[in-house]
Amino acid sequence: MARTAPNDAAVAAVLGVPASAATGSLASRVGRAAALVAFVALVVVLGLTLAPANALELQYAVSLTLFAVATNLILGFGGLVSFGQGIFYGVGAYTVALGWMHQSLNFTEAMVLAPFFGAVAAIPLGMLALRTRRLYFSLLTLTMSQLAYVIAENQTNLTGGTNGVFGAMVPTWLLDPHTSFLFTAAIVAVAIAILWKVVHSPFGLVLRAIRDNRERVEALGVNVYAHELAAFVISAFFCSLAGSLFVVYSQSSYPEILNWTASGVPVFMAVIGGMYSFFGPVVGAFVYEFASHYLIEYTQDWQLVIGAVLLAIVLLRPDGLAGSLGSLRAWLRRRRPVEQATVAAAPENAEGTP
Amino acid sequence: MRVLGKKRRARSYLTALTVAALAATAGTAATVSAGASSGGTVTVGESTTLSGSIAELGQTGLQGVQFAINAINAHGGLLGKHINVVSADDAATPATGASNARNFILNDHAVAMFGPIVSSVASAEEPVVTQYKVPIFFYISNDIALLTKDYTPYAFQVVPNTVMEPRAAADYLAHMVGKKKITIGTFAPNYSFGTSTVAGFIQALKDLHVNYKLVNQQFPPLEATNIAPYLSALVAAHPEYVFNAQFGGDLVTFSKQAAQYGFFKHTKVIAMYSRYPLQSLGAGAPAGAIGFDRAPFWALGKTGMNGTGMAAFINSFKAKYHQYPSAWAIMGYSAVQTWAYGVKKAGTFDGTKVSAALSGANVPTIRGTLNLRACDHQANVPEYVGTVSAKPSAQYHLRLWDSVFVAQAKDIMLTCAQSKALRG
Amino acid sequence: MARFLTETIGTLSDAGSLFVVAAGLTLVFGAMRVINLAHGTFYMYGAFVVTTVAGTASGLRFWVAVVVAALVVAVLGAIVQLGVVRFVVGKEPLTQLVATFAVLYILADVALHLWGSGARSVSAPLGVSGTFTLAGAYLPVYDLVIIGTAVLVGLVLWLLLSHTSLGWMIRAAVDDPELLQSGGVNLRRLHLAVFATGALLAALAGAIVTPQISVAPGMDQSIIVSSLLVVVIGGLGSVVGTAFAALIIGIADTVGTLVDPTWASTFMYFAVILVLVVRPWGLFGTPER
Repeated sequence: MARTAPNDAAVAAVLGVPASAATGSLASRVGRAAALVAFVALVVVLGLTLAPANALELQYAVSLTLFAVATNLILGFGGLVSFGQGIFYGVGAYTVALGWMHQSLNFTEAMVLAPFFGAVAAIPLGMLALRTRRLYFSLLTLTMSQLAYVIAENQTNLTGGTNGVFGAMVPTWLLDPHTSFLFTAAIVAVAIAILWKVVHSPFGLVLRAIRDNRERVEALGVNVYAHELAAFVISAFFCSLAGSLFVVYSQSSYPEILNWTASGVPVFMAVIGGMYSFFGPVVGAFVYEFASHYLIEYTQDWQLVIGAVLLAIVLLRPDGLAGSLGSLRAWLRRRRPVEQATVAAAPENAEGTP
Repeated sequence: MRVLGKKRRARSYLTALTVAALAATAGTAATVSAGASSGGTVTVGESTTLSGSIAELGQTGLQGVQFAINAINAHGGLLGKHINVVSADDAATPATGASNARNFILNDHAVAMFGPIVSSVASAEEPVVTQYKVPIFFYISNDIALLTKDYTPYAFQVVPNTVMEPRAAADYLAHMVGKKKITIGTFAPNYSFGTSTVAGFIQALKDLHVNYKLVNQQFPPLEATNIAPYLSALVAAHPEYVFNAQFGGDLVTFSKQAAQYGFFKHTKVIAMYSRYPLQSLGAGAPAGAIGFDRAPFWALGKTGMNGTGMAAFINSFKAKYHQYPSAWAIMGYSAVQTWAYGVKKAGTFDGTKVSAALSGANVPTIRGTLNLRACDHQANVPEYVGTVSAKPSAQYHLRLWDSVFVAQAKDIMLTCAQSKALRG
Repeated sequence: MARFLTETIGTLSDAGSLFVVAAGLTLVFGAMRVINLAHGTFYMYGAFVVTTVAGTASGLRFWVAVVVAALVVAVLGAIVQLGVVRFVVGKEPLTQLVATFAVLYILADVALHLWGSGARSVSAPLGVSGTFTLAGAYLPVYDLVIIGTAVLVGLVLWLLLSHTSLGWMIRAAVDDPELLQSGGVNLRRLHLAVFATGALLAALAGAIVTPQISVAPGMDQSIIVSSLLVVVIGGLGSVVGTAFAALIIGIADTVGTLVDPTWASTFMYFAVILVLVVRPWGLFGTPER
């Protein structure tokens, strides 16, 4: 992964991070896996049986889960608060859309290339952004996001400008909502599985160690900058993939997907769902998307509701809904006989909670 | 600061998709219909801009559409079916417009769509209606690209396009200045319509051999909250004439701000001084400026404003809404008439058959008989130009125009060959 | 010359209003180390309150409306401080950003209820609504009002921060809060005062520019971006830096428009990226220890 002197597995061992993050007893692990399978099955069945318009919405929500999980690789596990992942989402979407508009790439080529373009774009941006830390990193990525937005808006000949790109860029076999749902769900499932592997690899463990205690990891001779850059690039790769799936859903690409509020969306999803848990952002993506899409059928005040949810979570439950679920389980357990009473708060404990 | 004036609505793409509900805020609730097949009802959809500084166009346009639908329903509906209109706000955002169109077609089973205000939104809706084979009638958005570069057999345009409208204004100007050398500036919203209509104006000046020099061009964002930096650059260049392609509230803001520079004393502004801007500006309306409009009620009786029922429509609209109909309402009314004619002629609501029936058809409307020529589906509608008067009109008690010049469709339209050449 | 004057006055007027908004943002950061993403919301509320209070009247009532707007929004700022921001002082940047963004969302929705989704406008009050001529250039008198307000705000802030004990307390609030508290200063009350003042400045800027803009939803999100750029270039927490940065951005924008309009709007973003990479504490800020 990186040109570090000690290898990641060794570092992880020194730091005392467990090699496997799947903590808990075998029974709870099996239970968790069963819950995951049931959830995936439910989503697939819904996607295939819902009316076309609803299947499309579900497809969109599924593609957003990838955006959120990919962003959370650097947010929750890397401790890097990026307000710039919309750039890579946009690179993915624009690769497909512009490939069609300029007749330079066909759909398949564009879909394959999109994540790589995102990763390549992430190298220089990450190298610059990672020179700063904490708040300044957030502000710098936010600025980059706005820059990308302004460029997309003004370079009309290249990008279609404020109009964006709309058209028949998706092949006809993918136009049926159920087919495109399956296509999206399959890609997202594979991508999330790979991200799971990354998070639970020695590299992922070192990344978390950097988040928790940067100085100590540096002292062990680990090249922190290289690790963070690698994580940034991997995250960008999958954000771009999610962006290309956005085109499958919307058959369009436009500047607004690049701006800072768009970049904030996966961050909010991760915060809502729980950024210290791998599957937290999945929960967050569903909650956010369904709230903003379906809530408005009952109330116009979806902004108010989402704002209130964000506020409540960030002030009361910083470990998100997934964390709350963990605490709820712990609380239930506490009501049973005493021996299992040891319950700690996030981050470590919430890890791996679906 | 350009960033200050950035697009008013920097909504996230997620929220953009869900803005439909805001229609309710704008006073036009999105009604949910049972769909085309049930209970003898068919649904048509209109996604348009109902919020922000250009909302007046969308709101009055929708009133015109609703008016026409009510008239059809009052006469027993269409093919025996009652017509229902669903509407939603697109916030002038292409993505929202496309998403609204898709929702209307998939959820509400809309059999026809009536166009948005903004050409970029219209262009985003075109692939959607083409995919689902539903006809769309543009009566406000008018970018020439909608019928050329983005051509689809399902789109019809009953409004003068971005070649016709600026050509009409240029004709008027050429007549006014003769051989005199003039300096010109342009000011237009920064999206397809703005660039297209400015290009159309410049091309028309060339074709008419006007002796002009272009001294400044500004493209502020549509619905910009702050145009000051663009305006000061335009003012600083001291043009004698300015072609302004803004409309609705944006044109009102421009006129007020420009007046603060004393701009109208030395510069003749050529802009869409239609009913709403003139009424909003009231005494502040710039006398002597050149106005153009696509269907001004005060041109009643002239070509394109002389169909059966026009006078009655103006009167009943005034009775209902306590104001004269905007061009948008008049064109919206005629757009519905066009669709209804196609349905009757085809004997079905099927989008492909209705579109085929309308291609090349001569449609009787309140504006007169409109020919939707087969090559690009552009209706042969005229454009109207006049000079903003200094006093309120004796008949209408509003500041309108001194006289009305009608630019006939045949004099300002592209030929079919030219139109097809633009298809690329 | 006329052309130069028109552009200069226009640039100064824009930079002036931007400075007043950004000064509030940087003041809050200086004293509390919180970046308030809802700062633009106070600007928008200031503008909306003016449209309500001033109505179509364009005399003395406009000035009353400006004062009312600033005060009403200062109270709103105090409520936000007590209800939300108080709890995130000293927390992770993520917590602060998300919490204040949530406030932005909530208040944007409330504004929709209060003022609707349409655009509103206010006429410049009589006396300052006309044109004056200078060296052959016709210029809006109202630009002078904005520039004057900005200069006044700058002077007052400068005096306040460098010549009063309050200024010392604000600086000490971050550097040495223990010392401050041992000296009997109520840190909470200080934060409340600073945050309300920040909101007041944003509202004042929003109120004062109403005759030159159309007031509509979405203003909150666009102004917060420009003010962030300004405070970052100037140096987070530095009022003097903010003034310079507002001017730099104004000039870069005007010059950029003359050189190449399609790239003009990117200049300031490149500037900010450069500053953050090379000198993250900005032109006039001090590096955090």
